[in-house]
Parts: sequence; structure tokens; C-alpha cells
Amino acid sequence: MTTATVQPAQPTPSTQSTAMMSGRYQRAFTVAVLFLVAGWHLAGAGGQMLHNRSAYGGEFTIQVVIWLVMALAIAAGAVLVLRGTPSWRAAWAIALIALAGSTAAAATSPAGQMLAVEWAWASAGWIGVLVLLRRRFSELAWFLAAAALAILSVQAYDGLNRTTLAAFLALLAWSTGAQVAVAAGVRALDVAAGQAAAAARGEDAARERAATAEIIAAARQARWLALQESAAPLIAELAAGTADPGDAHVRIRCAVQAARLRRLMAEGDEVPGSLVHELHASADVAERRGITVEIETAGQLPQVPGPARRVITDAAIAILTAARSQARITLAAVAAGIAVSFVTDTAAVVSLPPAGHGVAIEQQQDGGMLWAEARWNSQ
Amino acid sequence: MEQPVTVAIIEDHPVVTEGVESWIRSDPGQRVRPVLTARDLAGLSAAPGPPARVVILDLELSGELVTTQIPALVAAGYRVVAFSGHSDPAIVMETLDNGAHAYVSKEEGRDHLVEAVLAAAADRPYVTRSQARAILADQRPARPALSEQEQQALLLWFQGMSKASVGRRMSISENTVRQYISRARAKYAATGRPAPSKDALLTRAIEDGVIKPADIIPYQSFARPAADPSLGAPD
Repeated sequence: MTTATVQPAQPTPSTQSTAMMSGRYQRAFTVAVLFLVAGWHLAGAGGQMLHNRSAYGGEFTIQVVIWLVMALAIAAGAVLVLRGTPSWRAAWAIALIALAGSTAAAATSPAGQMLAVEWAWASAGWIGVLVLLRRRFSELAWFLAAAALAILSVQAYDGLNRTTLAAFLALLAWSTGAQVAVAAGVRALDVAAGQAAAAARGEDAARERAATAEIIAAARQARWLALQESAAPLIAELAAGTADPGDAHVRIRCAVQAARLRRLMAEGDEVPGSLVHELHASADVAERRGITVEIETAGQLPQVPGPARRVITDAAIAILTAARSQARITLAAVAAGIAVSFVTDTAAVVSLPPAGHGVAIEQQQDGGMLWAEARWNSQ
Repeated sequence: MEQPVTVAIIEDHPVVTEGVESWIRSDPGQRVRPVLTARDLAGLSAAPGPPARVVILDLELSGELVTTQIPALVAAGYRVVAFSGHSDPAIVMETLDNGAHAYVSKEEGRDHLVEAVLAAAADRPYVTRSQARAILADQRPARPALSEQEQQALLLWFQGMSKASVGRRMSISENTVRQYISRARAKYAATGRPAPSKDALLTRAIEDGVIKPADIIPYQSFARPAADPSLGAPD
């Protein structure tokens, strides 16, 4: 008899990639924000600081040190966000360094000109956007509010009037406004990317269902072919009267075919522990002949591939057909595989199916008891 | 002739109690004598007269698992043979760890209960197939190390062979098969929670030559590492 075997469906590469697709988009947005933040700090903030070099007088060195500290904070933030969503501790540590830098830069600016030469506030805001981008939006809002309040406090210490308040509000509108806009934009893009990935996943699932349906159809075809070769001729012989149901040999052939039919049905059910399930199905037929069958397992059983399961259940059918009154089937987890054994009361030497697909079969006849073991090795 | 072993049967289903009594009666040597039957453990302590040597304990009484009561029974001097419909390896292991001598599943009762009671009374190991199964399935980090021969003997015994057949399969004598299986059981008596029944089983196993003291010292230290770290480290 030819055995048609069907390979179980493998997860297609595209299924795996759709799961990561949304993640890939998010990373691209993160990199874009990173370029924006680094670009601003280098060209915008750095340029402004150098341009106003003379206004700082003796405090210029301090400004440069603060600029360098914030550049380091951006580098650390970049490492963090490229590794995934940072923890709140790490994100807020960097955000607080940026906030301190911005406040210190404002406090060491020449009085009266602070808002005119201010560069660090915007840098701090951008750093906040970078590290808090994928945390709750309220966290970023609190951070930006704190940074603005710190600047306002420094200005209030220097003296607040209509002109300085207007300058403060103008700066707030353009820098904090831009930061909020970018953060909200990335959020919207994240959502869109998630939806795109979900749509792609849905398409993939449909493709996979179609492939599974094909596999099931092929398996059905294989089963039909198997029956054509074994059960159909026997039924035809019985119908034509050329096979005599009174003949012991014919009855054994019937028992074997009944067990195979039962197993074919069980093979359709893809359940965990398929082997135990299929052995139960094989045992069912023997139990209907009045044979007591007990099935026991020991340990965590590995999954046995289809072709190897078939060798084992073929052996089970051969042995159970020979059983006189009782049989014990055990499945035990052994190093690198599984040992399926059969102990039954028969004096007959059972012709067992050929070993193969990683299954080795041994038997021992001992005083009217048959012991056989099918050992599948995963290596 | 030796005195029969006295036994108390603690079982909440009368029909099972009757079954157990009939197995005991049908023993040709009449080696076991029931002195008490009770439906719960309170019935055991309330009973007058000399206490039984062995308690056959159904692990589930009135719907409750009584495995945690085993240490108290063992401390009171009883030898406990658990007799249960629960064949879950974890329960079997807990039962043995709590100091029960042997575990007999309800299916194994007819063939093994009387022998298990006699072995318990003599502090000798008795390993049923369900016990072998639990040992084979044991994956706890603190489990004792069994030799390949011990494992193979346990596996073939679990599979359903007679000990004589196991011997022929492994090309060793039936006596050596018993030795391997008993040694595996004795190694378990050297691990886990201390109990007088385990000490008695170990002592007897050493006297009988089933196990050498050297075989068990590492496992004792493994079970109680804080007591004396200088005793050989587990390998």
C-alpha cells in the first residue's frame, strides 16, 4: 500500500513579516524624529548660540558645556529609542537632564536679553519629544509645561513686562507648538501603520485559510486512495461472496481495515497529543472485539510528526489485531524522543510494519505475552 | 507461621472497603488481617485496641485529598499504603514524599495491594507500575539521579512486562531487576521531607544490600544543603 503523506502547514514568511510591519514603520518615524531633534540641536540651537556668542560674555563657556551635555542626552536618547520603547525611568532621566540644562542655560543668560538669545528651551522640548514620544501623551504635555514654566520663572526673576511676556508667548507658540504638532503627527502615523499591518495580516490569514483548505483536500484525497487500495477490495469480496466471513483470516482482515478506517478519521482531528488520540482510535476497534485496552502515558510527550505516527499506529493495529483478551499501551518520554510499547497476551509472532521515519521497532515473545516497542527518535 | 500483618482500611466507599477485604481474604497465605475499617481518619484515632501496623489509605475521603495527613500518620508509627483513583504523577510523588510507603492505584489493587501491605510492614520497597510511571515522569530539579539500568528496568516494568520478562529483555536475572527497581525507590526515600518511614525503608534497604550508603549520601546532602555543606556536592 502506498502511503500518501501530507506535510502540516508551515507559517509562511509573509505571516511573520506582517507581524513586524507596523513595528518597522514605527521605527522609521522614530528615526525621522531623531534626525529632526539632532538637526535642530546642531544647526538651530548651536548656530544661535554661536551667533550670540558676544552677548553671553564670560558665561559663554557655561553655555557651550550645557550644549554639549544636551548633545550627549540626545545621543543617549537615540540609543534608547532605537532599542524599542524606553522604560519610564530611563526616558524621564534624560528628559530631566534636558529640563535642567534648559533652565541652567536660561539662568546663565544675560539679564534682559534672555529670550532673545535663548536656544536651550527648544532643544529641551525636542529631547522630550524624542524620549517620551511613545509614552502617554500627558507625560509629554507635563514635560513641555514644566520646561515653559521654568523659562517663565527665570524671566519673572529678571522682571516681567508686556514686551517680555509677548516674546515668551511667541517662542512658546512656535517651539512648543511645533513639538506638540510633531508628536501628534507621529502618533497618527503609528495608528495608520497599525491599521495597514492589520489589513495585510487579514489578507494573509485569508491566503493561509485557502492553503489549509487545499491541504485538507489533499489529505482527504490521500485517505480515499488508501481506502481504495485496502478496504474497498475487501468489501467487494465480501459482497461477491468470494470472501467468507466465517473464515478467521477474513475476520482478521476486516478487523485491520476497521481499525484503519477509525484511524483515518482520527488523523483528521489535529489535536495536541495526536499520537495518543490516534492510538485511542485504534484501541476502540479492539475494544469492540471485547479486548481490554489500557493506555497510559509517562512524562511530557514530544510531538511526533505524521509519517512517524503512522508507523507507530500501524504497529498498534497489527498488535491489537493479534491480542487475545487484553493489551496495555504505554507512551513514555525518553531522551530525545518517545517509547511507545505494547504488551499483550498473544502467542503469535506478529509481523510488524517496517521501521522508518525515525521509528525503530523491537519485539519479544515471552511465555504467551508479546512485548513490542516502537521508539521514535527526534534526531 | 508468622503472625499476620494487621491492617486498617480507611476508605469512604463501603463497596471499595469490601473489595479490599475480599482481596485480603483470597490471599492463600492469609498473611494480612484487617483489624479496623473506617470512613475517615478520625475513625482511626478513635478506635480501641492495639493499633494496626499498616494503614491502607484512600487519598480522597469525602471529596478531599488527605495527602497532607500522611506525615502525622507516619509520625504515629503507622506504615501507609496509599490506595487511590488519582494516578496523577504529581499526587503520587507528593504521597511518597510525605512518607507513604507505596502507592497502589485502584486498577492495580487486585494484583498489588496485599503485596504492597506486606512490603510496607517489612519496610521493604514496593513499586507499582503507577509509581514507576510517576518516577519516570519526575522532572523536579531535586529528583535523585537514577542509573541508566534503573531507568530501563522502571520503564519496562511501567510498560507492563513481568519482572522475569524485564530480566530476559535486559539479560539480567529477575532478582537483579527487583534490585534496580528497589534501589530507585530507596533513592527517593533519601530525598525530600524527612519521615521515620523513609528512614526505616532506607535502613532496611542498606541491610538487604539493595543500596550502599555511599549511593545515598549525596542525595541526603542535596535535600538538606544547609545542614552540612562539606558532605559531597551533588554531581
